[in-house]
This record gives sequence, structure tokens and C-alpha cells, in this order.
Amino acid sequence: MMATDTPPLPDEGALYDGAACGLLLTDPSGVILKANLTFCRWLGLQRDDVCGTHFEKLLTTGGRIFHQTHFYPLLQLQGSIAEVKLELLSATGERMPVLVNAVRRDGGAEVWHEMAVFMARDRHAYEKELLHARKQAEQLASAKLAAEQAAQDRGYLAEQMIGIVSHDLRNPLFTIMLGAASLQRSNLDDQAKSYLGHITEAAQRAERLVEDLLDFTAARIGHGIAIECKPIDLHAVVAKCVEGLRIRWPGHVLHHLSTGTGTCLGDSRRLFQVIGNLVGNAVAYGDASSPIEVTSCISERECSISVHNQGQPIPPEHLSTLFQAMVRGTD
Amino acid sequence: MNLQRRNNIRVGGSGPATMVFSHGFGCDQNMWRFLVPKYEEDFRTILFDLVGSGASDLTAYDRNRYGSLRGYAEDLLEIIGAFAEGPVILVGHSVSAMIGLLAAVEAPERIGAHVMVGPSPCYINDGDYAGGFSRADIDGLLETLENNYLGWSSNMAPKIMGAPGQANLAEELTNSFCRTDPQIAAHFARVTFLSDNRADVPRLAAPALVLQCSDDVIAPRTVGDYLAKRLPRATLRLIENTGHCPHMSSPAQCIEYIDEFLLTLDVGHDGH
Repeated sequence: MMATDTPPLPDEGALYDGAACGLLLTDPSGVILKANLTFCRWLGLQRDDVCGTHFEKLLTTGGRIFHQTHFYPLLQLQGSIAEVKLELLSATGERMPVLVNAVRRDGGAEVWHEMAVFMARDRHAYEKELLHARKQAEQLASAKLAAEQAAQDRGYLAEQMIGIVSHDLRNPLFTIMLGAASLQRSNLDDQAKSYLGHITEAAQRAERLVEDLLDFTAARIGHGIAIECKPIDLHAVVAKCVEGLRIRWPGHVLHHLSTGTGTCLGDSRRLFQVIGNLVGNAVAYGDASSPIEVTSCISERECSISVHNQGQPIPPEHLSTLFQAMVRGTD
Repeated sequence: MNLQRRNNIRVGGSGPATMVFSHGFGCDQNMWRFLVPKYEEDFRTILFDLVGSGASDLTAYDRNRYGSLRGYAEDLLEIIGAFAEGPVILVGHSVSAMIGLLAAVEAPERIGAHVMVGPSPCYINDGDYAGGFSRADIDGLLETLENNYLGWSSNMAPKIMGAPGQANLAEELTNSFCRTDPQIAAHFARVTFLSDNRADVPRLAAPALVLQCSDDVIAPRTVGDYLAKRLPRATLRLIENTGHCPHMSSPAQCIEYIDEFLLTLDVGHDGH
């Protein structure tokens, strides 16, 4: 009873012509033999105009090349191909992005290609935006890389410059110190001697700065600071160092304290440098009236050296940047 | 560097002379499957994939080396040197016909004869020369390539492999014949379609068969005529066919013309 009341389903012809996609039948070379109305309507063409046309002729030139180099060979080799995005040219010359599926139908003597064509305007627009975004991201990434490389090159160049300059500064400094030493042995009045003392001290300070700069650049360029370790008598090394520093800063009191016994591995020259720097800081920033204590300590597991002075503590906000080169707290 | 792996070289057939098959832009050596079985009976056959295509070693794709067709020509000469004895017969489709031309100009003794399938010495129109395309057309192709990954995704790249001679193709090999790293495909397209080898055309000393399709969007008939006129020893044969791949769509016709051409040469079936 129900069946007779239900309106009849559309027949195959109506389904074919009104399908929600374009449907084509072509000969093996691509000449369109049949096309449904949906396809013709999309293109704005009469069915008679579509049939007999080569499918390729409806494509953009780029699409035609792709059809020959990819679409056709794959269809030939695999018997089917799916999801190929091409652009059809409508009667008015409008480009219509479509997705195409095709199968090769082998009918014995005859071979046909069946194609289904889907409009892909929104998908195409979306994919264009994705592609655009990817290209932008790639451009940004490569610009960033280039900027980083340039910054690295500049930094490297600057460090090399410092290295070269500080190295070359040694020669004139050596001449100054040699001249000052020769003058010291001649007959000079007190005022001249005092000037000479200042010259010698300034030259020595400049030499130490050059040494520090060289170490700094070596560390930055990647060689690191060279250390030659060998067994040393730590207390003796520190004692000798403190003795020298007392001469350098006669206005300050320096104590050397030592605990423990034994030998340890170390580089005397570098230890001189470290203690010199730390004591130099103590002299520059500490309380001038109280003594500076240099302690060398040997225990079973380690050797250590510490330098201690009185004065205003380093403000806590400076602690994090304390070991960065060229950074110092307020005077 | 392993040559065999770099170009996915497959040697087959047997005979006194060697035929080398070089595919064109787009797909890989599987394009030859309708032609090669016939020649395996009488010739040693060498098939390979151009670097960047098919199952070649993609890590060997050097943008400088393959920034012009000369890089591919060098590869071809390396392959002939390593896998063939004596001069070979080169069958080159499309861009590979020009790769063969460049190789022959470089080392004429290596290639005894050329079969050029749908060749074009220059795809871009230039004054009186009608190559068939404008610069904008090639940009359009690059755009179409960009829109079609054909089964490519970066995470599957190392797994890609060809399956020559296997009729039953596994599902995961879908589109593998034409699957290429999109960036390589775009670069290869640029190098191919912007190449201009017209200056080398008159320098080919060996005989050449030009197989021209009657209706080919990529290599129009004017281009076939141009080559027939300027190649010193050319034979032009027209195949009634729409498209750029007569070796796939009209293999019987191709075989007929190639056989006819081979008979005029001092090599071939009976080992003359």
C-alpha cells in the first residue's frame, strides 16, 4: 500500500544530468563524448559545445601541461586517479578551481575515461591562504636566520678586532715600560721619580688590561682560556702573589691565610691573574681602611682560594649580571 | 656515491647493443612499460629515474647541479659509462631528448643514435620561434604543481619507492610514479620549461628519430618541424595522437617507427 502512495524515484538520466558534480565520459585521448548538465551549466556552455571538445582545451595552459605530464600518465599506469586540482575555464573566461577524479573503463575493444568534477572554490581560496601563510612564515624564518647570521658575523668581527688591537698594543706598552725602567736607573729629582712611578704603574695596568682582553676574546671566539695545570704548592704560589700585590697597592693591608697541606694541580700564572683581579676589585670597591684577606685552603677533596674584604655589599640586583663582561655596578 | 641507487638503474634484456630509456618531466621510468618489453628481446635495456624523480636518491638532488639540463646530461654519461659497452641507442622522452642531445654534444662517441619522443629544444615562444608557451604559462604550471601533492607528504618521503614491472600495485604506491618532493618538482619544472637548447641542435652528429605527435600541447608540430630542419641527421615521424605520451597511448605505432629507424642503423636485432 505504501509503495503506490510514494512518488517514483528520479530515473538514472535525471540523476546523471542533475548530479551534484560534473560527470564526463571521454575517449582515451581526452575528447569529451558525454557530459552531464551540471558540468555544462558550471561552464556556461551548451551540451553540444562541450561534447566533441578535448577536456584539455577547457583547462588553463599550466593545467594542460600538468594533464600531460602527470594526470594522463597516472591514469594510464594506475587505471585511476583522484583529487587532482585543476582550473577550468568557463565560457566567459572565468577560472573555476575543481577537483577531478577519473577512472579508466576498459570495455574490451573500447577504452573510456570516466571523470567526476567537483567545484572547489572555497577549498581553493582556503588552500591559497594556507600557502600564502606558509610562504610568509618561510620568508620570516629566512629573514630571521639572515639577521642572526649577520649579528653573529658582526660579533665575531668585533671580537677579532679586540683580539688584534690588544695584541698589537703590547709592543708600544713594552717600549714604554722598558724606557721607564732605564730612566729609573738614571739621576732624577723627586718630582720626576714620582711621575715615572705613575708612568710605570699606568703602563702595568694597561698591560694587565690587554691580557684580560686577550683572554676575553679567546673565551668568546671559542678557544676558551688556556690553562696549563701542573702540580703546585698552592700556599707558596698564593703567598708570592700576595707579596707582589702588596707592592702594587702599598696603601692597603693584605693578609694571606692558609689551611691544610699537600700539593694540588693548578696554573700559577692564571691563579696570579685571578687573585690579582679579585684583589683589584677589593681595592677599588672595598673599605680602604680594613685589611683584605686572601685565603688558600687545601682539603682532602679540593683546593680553594678566596678573597675577602670589608665594605658595602654588592647590591643583590647586580648579582645576576656580575659575571657578564663589560658590566659593572654603580661606582 | 652509488650510481645504481642514485638513479634507481634497472638493467634488463639481452643483446649485442644497449638501449637506454630516459623518462621526461613528471613521472618516472614506469612510463616505458608499454615499450620496453618489446626491446628486451633483442637489446640490453637500461632504465633509470632522473635524480629528483621516481625512486631516485632525493638526497642527491643538488640545486646547483640540476639547475640546468647539463647536470642531467652528466648523469646520463656516467650511467652509460658504468653500465653500457660501446655506443648506446638513447630513447628520451620530452626533456630527456634534450638531455641526450647535450650529452651527445659532450661525448659523441657514447650515443650512437637518438630516439626523441615529443622533444622540444625550447618551450617558450621567442620571436619567430613558436615553442608554444609564454613565461606566464610556465608560472601557471608551477601553480598547478603547488596545488597537487599527488600522494606526497614530507613524512613519507623516505619510504617512496618505485615498483617497475609489477602489475599488481599495492595501495600505498598510489601516484608513486609521479610522486615528487614538491620543491624539487617546481625546480625541475622551471629548469625544464625555461631551458633553451636551440644552439646545440645543429651540433648533433648522430642520427636522430623525432617522434612527433599530431596534437601535442607540450611539443607542437612547429617544434618537430624546427628540429627536423636543424638536426643534421633527423628523421621525422608523425604519430596520429593527441597528447604528449605516444609511448603510452600509441606504443604500437612508436615501435613501428623505432624499428624502422633501427634498421637504418648499423646496430640492432641481429647484431650487425
